Amino acid sequence: MLSAQERAQITQVWDLIAGHEAQFGAELLLRLFTVYPSTKGYFPHLSACQDAAQLLSHGQRMLAAVGAAVQHMDNLRAALSPLADLHALVLRVDPANFPLLIQCFQVVLASHLQDEFTVEMQAAWDKFLTGVAVVLTEKYR
Amino acid sequence: MSNFTAEDKAAITSLWAKVNVEDAGGETLGRLLVVYPWTQRFFDSFGSLSSPSAIMGNPKVKAHGAKVLTSLGEAIKNLDDLKGTFGQLSELHCDKLHVDPENFRLLGNVLVTVLAVHHGKEFTPEVQASWQKMVAGVASALGSRYH
Repeated sequence: MLSAQERAQITQVWDLIAGHEAQFGAELLLRLFTVYPSTKGYFPHLSACQDAAQLLSHGQRMLAAVGAAVQHMDNLRAALSPLADLHALVLRVDPANFPLLIQCFQVVLASHLQDEFTVEMQAAWDKFLTGVAVVLTEKYR
Repeated sequence: MSNFTAEDKAAITSLWAKVNVEDAGGETLGRLLVVYPWTQRFFDSFGSLSSPSAIMGNPKVKAHGAKVLTSLGEAIKNLDDLKGTFGQLSELHCDKLHVDPENFRLLGNVLVTVLAVHHGKEFTPEVQASWQKMVAGVASALGSRYH
């Protein structure tokens, strides 16, 4: 459950990302692959050549989904249902990987927002992304 | 165990030289206690932890954070023998403090975000990778004598 303050923090951070989904998403993926090389196995097409255009394209897609989650943060299950199906039936990303992605997300936010990345933002965003991960892996079994 | 390359060591030591241990320590421990509130379970004696501003301003949090990062600074001088460096602290955290080693991983991750806040673009994916390796090594070393 997100408090009103947490919702405000989440929206505030998203407003800083909106419009830059591709750039943030590409950096997120680059950090994921660099810091946690075992994750590359889930993105064979992307991680082999790390073509900038492909990273931007896939990054854009991932962050657009995050944006949709922000729009529907009170009903993630419904909003993310197709993505939950995709992850359960097709992608089958081991749930242990989501905290790794979340850590990289936090670092992207922290390095771009710097002092503007308050502790309240970090807390709200960590809670929110963890909630998204739970929904995405909920149909696994 | 983690093998630190020359690049890792360079990235770690050069960034560390710019870190204000007192500020970063308080910031790191404070953020840990706010973002993962269950970690407050170890700090009942610290006084008010009732809100983010109470936590971030708490003098005991700042002092303890500085202590933790000072210890990390020592580890940075001994990257090739983290287990040796943290042997006694590992026993302390197990036998006396009863800290779940998962907390070391959480703290390490928060430290990485604090470094990213302070260093912005300089905190490249490669630098992050070296530091995540560092904090993972420390967490592992601190858990190594648990029984």
